[in-house]
Amino acid sequence: MPSTRSFPTVSINRSEPLSDSELVRRAKKGEEVAFGLLVERYQRPAYAVALSVTGRHEDAQDAAQESFLVALDRLEECRSPEKFGGWLMTIVRNRSKNLVRRESLREMEEVPPGARSRVPTPERVAETSELRALLKEALMDLPEVQREIVLLHDLEGWKHREIADRLDLPCGTVRSHLHFARKALRDALRRLATEPEMLRAAR
Amino acid sequence: MNRRYEDMLDDGMERDMELADALASLDPASHDPNYWLRFRSWVMRSAARELAHRRLMTQLTIGDVVQSWARALVPTAVLTAVVAGLMLIHGGTLAPPRPISVEEMLMRGIDREALPTTLPADPSPDVVTFASEGF
Repeated sequence: MPSTRSFPTVSINRSEPLSDSELVRRAKKGEEVAFGLLVERYQRPAYAVALSVTGRHEDAQDAAQESFLVALDRLEECRSPEKFGGWLMTIVRNRSKNLVRRESLREMEEVPPGARSRVPTPERVAETSELRALLKEALMDLPEVQREIVLLHDLEGWKHREIADRLDLPCGTVRSHLHFARKALRDALRRLATEPEMLRAAR
Repeated sequence: MNRRYEDMLDDGMERDMELADALASLDPASHDPNYWLRFRSWVMRSAARELAHRRLMTQLTIGDVVQSWARALVPTAVLTAVVAGLMLIHGGTLAPPRPISVEEMLMRGIDREALPTTLPADPSPDVVTFASEGF
């Protein structure tokens, strides 16, 4: 009987880095260790990409976590397992966009007409770090692709080449986006840091 | 520009440490050291069922598949055979007369009553009827 059969123990030597395609191949067979390594490898970039779209920690977390489950369900659709990272980021981006769309629809239904749509939530008010709040605000003013690139590069430490491969963009475009994103961020941070809080709240 | 040189450039020249430090505050682990561990655990817990299903699918052999089919197929086949047997036994006496050609009839004769005493109102166009009409 298949249900009573004991499965062979899966062992992966974690000292030698396995390629994405090898991990995907094993995860397709249901090897927990392989899928766990993929999660470990991509959880931070997935969160960064989700944060670049949603701008909120809770939404980014939900979108990133759900994306791993969707990726596992659709693993057979990953035509190039060596490009698993890029494929996963597409899922993350789409799920994050859907989440934002749903949230904004809910806000439109809940918030009475004429009310400000970006009222600070209790979580936002209670945010411990002022810098974090400023940074999020500055990030959300950037175009989405620039947010994603600056987070992957400066937060996750990805190289230009990796970002270019994963986002399917020329390396020069990635560099240029990164340059403009940083400049905009620095300017925004400087401006937000010197701007009185009252003015900021009114924006 | 070769790839190695690009990577060196990437690592050395363009790292904006001040901005990187500021962005590091967006990393949930900066104020919750176990965050990524919990993140991974949640994903793995939620994925456990799908992974188990995939393991099961991989472990299934042709024998297992045949065995699972057999569970439904064997009783159905036995039942069909029994029904067919019963129909043969009970239906044997009601078998229609075998068609017979004129030549065969002339050569060997007819076992049963071949020439009806009266023809039916609407004679069926079978061989026996044809033969009887011919004679």
